[in-house]
Amino acid sequence: MDKQYLIDFETEVKERYEAGEIKAPVHLSSNNEDALIEIFGAHIDEDDWVFCSWRNHYHALLHGIPRDTLMDMIVRGKSMSVYSDKPKFYSSSIVGGILPIALGTAMSIKMKEEKNKVWCFIGDMTFETGLFYETYKYARNFELPLEFVVEDNNLSTNTPVDETWGGKQTVPADVYHYEYKSDYPHHGTGNWVLF
Amino acid sequence: MKYKDELIRSMEWLAEKDDTTFIGQSVAYSGNAIYNTLKTIDIDKRIEVPVFEETQMGMCTGMAMNGIVPICCFPRFDFILRCMDALVNHLDKMQHMTEGTFKPKVIMRTSIGSTNPLDGGIQHTQDYTDPIMRMLHEVNVVSLNEPEQIFPEFEEAYNTDCSTLLIEWGDYYNEK
Repeated sequence: MDKQYLIDFETEVKERYEAGEIKAPVHLSSNNEDALIEIFGAHIDEDDWVFCSWRNHYHALLHGIPRDTLMDMIVRGKSMSVYSDKPKFYSSSIVGGILPIALGTAMSIKMKEEKNKVWCFIGDMTFETGLFYETYKYARNFELPLEFVVEDNNLSTNTPVDETWGGKQTVPADVYHYEYKSDYPHHGTGNWVLF
Repeated sequence: MKYKDELIRSMEWLAEKDDTTFIGQSVAYSGNAIYNTLKTIDIDKRIEVPVFEETQMGMCTGMAMNGIVPICCFPRFDFILRCMDALVNHLDKMQHMTEGTFKPKVIMRTSIGSTNPLDGGIQHTQDYTDPIMRMLHEVNVVSLNEPEQIFPEFEEAYNTDCSTLLIEWGDYYNEK
């Protein structure tokens, strides 16, 4: 799966949303294709769990959710809560909500002596919350198979993370981190849509 | 059997299951009434966690997604307010959000703090049963008012395919 495949998918979602076909919010990705292709291609196995936020279409495709299945979900209004049991994928629309859930799944993997991992993709606002630090500290202290990826656009909706926190924390060396600037707004496409 | 004895019997029955684990504050170390109902459980089945209710609730949800049945213990009902996002927005919405694909089974225990002979005070004795029942749609809420209810309700909580919050009364540990 290459960069253009991801861009084309998101463009189709954009067009179908603007046509009034999708009657629920969509949160589109752009300009983070290379970073995600690298992370999924080099590190994430098909049997791993992936936990995501409301902006999850690229992650779902890269983890193996079939294109048609994903598009059907989005058209049915499920863009913010894309899920799958095979491959294992769960997303939530609440800042920070997936962190402790991912932690528990990682804990169960260790308890059951399974070999897979849990990947938790969060934004940089979520990274700054206390919930991240509880989750991170517990996961590392108990050596749980949980990896974090901070997707940093310095925005939460339209709120600047650095300005509202008065600065940003340093991302630990064992947490994946990339920066990007999306061409899309927080939700929708930036164009007026008549539903 | 008396109220507390029925709780102990129920916990011992749950502990016999291979997929259960007991998790919370004061499940392995003394400090509250619920601890006294878990003392006979193998220590390897009990996970003492820090005081981080929201993380604890989310952890149990994540464990349940992968086939563990956590017995998630909150010593007092008042403390559950600290985990409402994980409970109301996540555990309680997961079947709907995933169209039945994930049905996490978490068995939650909590207790309305006792007022007699010691009164725990306004932050430790509140009964939020009615409001929490109105907020939860996928999680069953059961008030354990009588000793004879207790074992069947925990049996039902284990055998069903959704989560259950079982609410105990601290005062009944001695009264009934």
